[in-house]
Amino acid sequence: MIFKNKTGTSPYIFLLAYLLIWLILFEFIIPASNVLPKPSIVFQSFGALWSDYNLLTNFLSTVSSIYLPLIIAYFLVMIISEFLFNRKSFFAAFISSIHWFGKYLPGLLIAFIIIYWFPDSNYIESVFVFFTALSSMIIFYQLEIENVEQEYIDSALSLGISKSNLNRKVLWKSVQPKLFSHIFEMHLYIWSMIIAFEFIKGGFGLGVVLKNALLYRDLSALFSIFIITGVTIFIGQTIIRFLKKKFAFWS
Amino acid sequence: MNNNLILSVNKISKSFTRLAGAKITVIDNINLRIEKNGKSGQFISVLASFGSGKSTLLKLICGIEKPDSGEILVNGNLLNGTKGEVIFVPEKPSSFPWLNVLENVQFGLEGNKPVQEFIDAVGLTGYEKHYPDNDSIGFRFRISFARALAVNPEIILLDDPFRRMISKTRDEIYDVIRSVMKKYNTTFLLVTTNISEAVYLSNKIYLMKKNPGKIFHEFNIGSETATEMGLNRQERFISLRSEIEKLFTSVGENFQSEIRI
Repeated sequence: MIFKNKTGTSPYIFLLAYLLIWLILFEFIIPASNVLPKPSIVFQSFGALWSDYNLLTNFLSTVSSIYLPLIIAYFLVMIISEFLFNRKSFFAAFISSIHWFGKYLPGLLIAFIIIYWFPDSNYIESVFVFFTALSSMIIFYQLEIENVEQEYIDSALSLGISKSNLNRKVLWKSVQPKLFSHIFEMHLYIWSMIIAFEFIKGGFGLGVVLKNALLYRDLSALFSIFIITGVTIFIGQTIIRFLKKKFAFWS
Repeated sequence: MNNNLILSVNKISKSFTRLAGAKITVIDNINLRIEKNGKSGQFISVLASFGSGKSTLLKLICGIEKPDSGEILVNGNLLNGTKGEVIFVPEKPSSFPWLNVLENVQFGLEGNKPVQEFIDAVGLTGYEKHYPDNDSIGFRFRISFARALAVNPEIILLDDPFRRMISKTRDEIYDVIRSVMKKYNTTFLLVTTNISEAVYLSNKIYLMKKNPGKIFHEFNIGSETATEMGLNRQERFISLRSEIEKLFTSVGENFQSEIRI
């Protein structure tokens, strides 16, 4: 589903309109300035980004740091969801304490602490994304199973289903549409966190490219990075939406 | 021990503790018996007003809840947890929207056993691959009903499922239940707030008062239902309804029957 405003127009239409205005204004009407770069220079800088800023490596580093841990975290939550069902378990209590901890300690502060402790690790941002996604999904799942329709649980139990099957076949399934919506929101949060993380830590990633572009005051490179990041996030959101439609289609 | 009993509920009681710590007795010393009927299935109703512990009673009978005292025997055996002998069909639709009709009906079974006859029996032929998301209550009830039938239970417990249905759907479902009763020799235990419905469908009616939930009277209507006798438009149907109303008034409950002919 593409989000629409009250008049029913897709925001992507506005985005395309803005791009068109920028193209016409800054290419043909307004002379070169420091406000926004000329579109032709931005297109040229796409090529320069590959060589001067090592874009491919940095891009793949960011993308793999986000999506691989996110996928692993999702499947791990699926495996351990049976233990989350029992709210009295030690594990559930531990997760609740993380929830409390996460409520009062912003993600960026945790990122600072991690960077301070592991300044040279190349995998630490993946670990950071993994734990952020894992804890967020676990907490969400645990809160959401409280809202599963009692009728589903009663029916399944009366059919003689075991506790583990109840979790796997009813609770986990029932939570899926909302969990995908949560992942959709979390995806944006993780992207912003990881760009900030790379920006601060250095090493590899789009955050590093952004930092270098700012350092060299390379406006067209900056503009290109924003476009590449925006398009990648958009593709990511579209894929999550597609997966929701395919595997969690019910309301 | 009476071997002729499908279900024997003996002196069960159930209390819940509220947040403030006060104990509320929901079910108090309830006895209920359903005997085998050689020829066909039976339809038993428990008639009670809202908040009288009807749903709790059914959850105790199917083993989802455990009684504080008393015992429940199914075919002479002590009920110990849920084993699929007694199937509970809740008030709200309980078909799973992530499974299609066929998968829903196969849900309580091991492996992919054939269930087409149950799908046909509830009138869902042709909808096997349909996902029941945002469908009508009647449609979703049929799925839950077929799913209950597929596990071949001793008794199907119905937790006032007709209350939210429109009258046309309700009448169609009554017909489905009657044909299933004859075909599979299934016994039903319905809890309802609707006097007309109980009289219309049942062979036997238990009256239950609230605070705490307790059975105070039982009616044996007979082996034939009101419809089979053609009584739903006749005097006995109306007199039964008013008699039940009077009995509820005698225990201090204002119970108005919903007139539907």
